[in-house]
Amino acid sequence: MHISRRVFALAAAALLALPLSACGSGEDGGGSTDASGKVEGDITFQTWNLRANFKPYFDGLISDFEKKYPDTHVKWIDQPAEGYADKISADAAGGTLPDVVNVSPDLVAPLARAGLALDLDKAAAKYRSEYLDGAWASHRIPGMSGTYAFPWYLNTGPLFYNKSLFKEAGLDPAQPPKTYDDLFADALKMAKQSGGKVATLANVPTIEDFGRYGVELMNKEGTGFAFNDAKGVELLTRYQELYDAKALDPQALTATPESSGKKFLTEAVAMNPGSALDLDNFKKQAPNLYKNIGITDQITSTGHVNMYVMGVMVNTKTRHTPAAVAFAHFVTDAQNQMSFAKQVAIFPSTAGSLDDPYFTEEDGTDETRVRIAAAKSLQNAVNYTPVLFSDQMKTALRNEVAKALLGKESPKAALDNAVKACDQLLQQQG
Amino acid sequence: MAGVSRVRRQLPTSPWLFAAPGLLVVGAFVLYPFVSTVVNSFTDRRTLIPGRFVGLANFRELIHDDMFWTGLRNSTLYIVGVVPALVVLPLLLALLVQKNIPGITFFRSAFYTPVVASIVVVGLIWVWLLDERGLVNSLLETVGIGRIGFLSDQWLLLLSAMAVTVWKGLGYYMIIYLAALANVPRELHEAAAVDGAGAVRRFLTVTVPAVRSTMVLVAALSSVAAFKVFSEVYLMAGPSGGPAGEDTTLVMLVQRTGTGLTGRVGYASALSVVVFVVTVVLMLLVLRADRRERT
Repeated sequence: MHISRRVFALAAAALLALPLSACGSGEDGGGSTDASGKVEGDITFQTWNLRANFKPYFDGLISDFEKKYPDTHVKWIDQPAEGYADKISADAAGGTLPDVVNVSPDLVAPLARAGLALDLDKAAAKYRSEYLDGAWASHRIPGMSGTYAFPWYLNTGPLFYNKSLFKEAGLDPAQPPKTYDDLFADALKMAKQSGGKVATLANVPTIEDFGRYGVELMNKEGTGFAFNDAKGVELLTRYQELYDAKALDPQALTATPESSGKKFLTEAVAMNPGSALDLDNFKKQAPNLYKNIGITDQITSTGHVNMYVMGVMVNTKTRHTPAAVAFAHFVTDAQNQMSFAKQVAIFPSTAGSLDDPYFTEEDGTDETRVRIAAAKSLQNAVNYTPVLFSDQMKTALRNEVAKALLGKESPKAALDNAVKACDQLLQQQG
Repeated sequence: MAGVSRVRRQLPTSPWLFAAPGLLVVGAFVLYPFVSTVVNSFTDRRTLIPGRFVGLANFRELIHDDMFWTGLRNSTLYIVGVVPALVVLPLLLALLVQKNIPGITFFRSAFYTPVVASIVVVGLIWVWLLDERGLVNSLLETVGIGRIGFLSDQWLLLLSAMAVTVWKGLGYYMIIYLAALANVPRELHEAAAVDGAGAVRRFLTVTVPAVRSTMVLVAALSSVAAFKVFSEVYLMAGPSGGPAGEDTTLVMLVQRTGTGLTGRVGYASALSVVVFVVTVVLMLLVLRADRRERT
């Protein structure tokens, strides 16, 4: 048996030319955007690191849905928290994105721009009134019309502080800082009293911090960033003072939320933002800290605390649009959100749910106190992170902030450079 | 005549059938991604948006990208810091554990343990050790030196990551040297000793020339690995690449630029092509230096 040189050359050329097919349209037909048909078919539902702690809840939820719609079958997959965006991007690029996906607003933006997230203003408009207005709006994308995910659970949290470190620094543990002026004054005092050994904060300011400080993050049209205004420069200048005085942890420039949490747990820093979930963690991992834990409200200049929003989107390529939309709505409806909120310290995004006695009546425990305070602050909370603020933009801001703190650039120059870099990335997003 | 030319134009099929499984794997997992990367480097492809041909625009952009030069500097410094240590120290370690004395297996295994340990675990352990309040700083404080910002200073962070790379690679290259040392004739050492050469002279005049080709191999392997460093720096400096991103290496930049839902696949591919070209040049330089030594 022989193979001709021509056939061999053709096969090799085909293999080498295959990557060229990557250039081009990328359209592949896709599913229907009409959700009005019969609810039936097999769909896949992807969550974000929830199986380990909430498997019974989701098994029950899926079973209830399948009972309600007997012609459906839901396959549940869960992805670890680490690298979740990368997993979604690989699935989206490879055409294997599940039918119903747990997302945050910044994840849904690129998916919507690529035409992969179903516009729920068209496909599920009848459910809109079930949700809080702000929560429903959180999955809108500047420059696009429509809403691209059902709002799911909301979260916010207080600021935790270490009473014993406050006491050692000569600060009154019963009077934690309430304003930015208090915070910066207390932090400088603590650094001075401890000889630079105890910092108050463990992280550099992020885009949420700029938002909470009252900085205008984007222009009104949503076409460019604007956090290099006088207020932004003022915040960064104050952080620079903290860094120089060691009131901001020296490792803050490379810190992650996880490493900052650990610093607080080991009593290396005096304050850290958190959520009601953390109390249990303190109790188990740092009983000594738990005895001295102080809880105060998030500090803002705007009167609106920051909140995180989770959503559930429907893939436009699903072959069972009615079932996928029905399931996404089922997961996020008032009854199921309330039931999930009783499993874990999260807050429903459905209208009226936060008025439930579970979120309004105290029983004397710290957990309830934090829950009630958080539910109250959520009534007018804001998701400060712009939905178009990508990971690359976060890194650009972080690196420029670090340059200012290290004294390599002035706060103004650093923020100008960050805005320039973020605008360039925004334009490249198309 | 026509029959002869037909035979000449045809290739025997059987060898290709035998090689087919291997060729398919190499084609799918090596050749295709490589060609795909080169093709993408000439496009503005994004993770979810197919690219358009943009010619050399990505390569022009990286020339003006400060972070590219930071990455190139750090990856080059990594070679300068790590390769000499990984050429010399494992050889000394191999000489130490070469002799068959009771209990030596324990030391050989101990030196090899970091090689098989997960880089993530190793990285996290070193982060704990070198933390501002970690064991190393506590010891330094106890002896009166005071705390050192191993993980907060740009240069100390890079040096710390290099130390971890060297520590983790020692055992691997030690095994390569052990194999080479086993082939050095004992008579040469004995003759040198009879001529009055001491231990250091015997090392320089007998051992080193005998394992020179292995040293070249180690230099080539470790320089390519050093230039492509990612895990150690990523784990110790964090995803942002150290303070103000100053510890970012080229491969970290590829990862940061090209991944995620808004990843710039075209630009990251151009960076990857540069990494590939530099790696090939490095290998050629090492091989040329070796050839020049031999002649």
